[in-house]
Amino acid sequence: MSMEAIFVIASFTVPENFGPNPQSMLWLLPLVAAIAIIYKATKLPTIKAGNFIKETSLLFGSIIVFIIIAALSLHALAWMITG
Amino acid sequence: MAVRSREKQTLFLLVVGLLSWLVPGAGHLVLKEKERAIIIFVTILLTFCVGIYIGSIGVINLYGSTPWYVVGAQVMNSPMVLLLGRITAHNAYPVYGWPNEIGQIYTSTAGLLNLLCIVNAVYLAYVRGIEPARG
Repeated sequence: MSMEAIFVIASFTVPENFGPNPQSMLWLLPLVAAIAIIYKATKLPTIKAGNFIKETSLLFGSIIVFIIIAALSLHALAWMITG
Repeated sequence: MAVRSREKQTLFLLVVGLLSWLVPGAGHLVLKEKERAIIIFVTILLTFCVGIYIGSIGVINLYGSTPWYVVGAQVMNSPMVLLLGRITAHNAYPVYGWPNEIGQIYTSTAGLLNLLCIVNAVYLAYVRGIEPARG
């Protein structure tokens, strides 16, 4: 087994080192992409590359916009309560 | 004769469901949905791999303090997760805090997405069993 392969396998045995900072919220994006892709893969009657990418992008965008609106609303609510 | 074909249909639905669980996308491949199968396989595998890359294989903690619903969702990825759980048993790969949480969220979401695909594959197999084949 090559050294590169050993390093790749070894990287799965040690966790990444990061804390709850604003940048770590970006880990949300690949997860939302996966959800949008799988949902559309099961829902579309036929899979055509152009249509599939369009539909998936629309769903991805909708989820992100909804999350941003929810986050802003909760932030505003918390600001109003705590002053 | 009708009973026999119904038995065959039930067996086929079971095989499709089991295949979908064994390898994500395999159920759709059996139903000749090649594109769907590839998309499902790649997406679920990548999501699961990102999860165990962030939190290490220690996020698959089947016999530890992980809540049952997280373990259940992780196992829905594939029975291979059970083998991974044996490797990580007795806290062999400890992981705490944020990487543990993000890793668990990724791996369990991948499992739940695969559950959606299993249900979809079985539904497609059922519908095609009672409708004339397309094409």
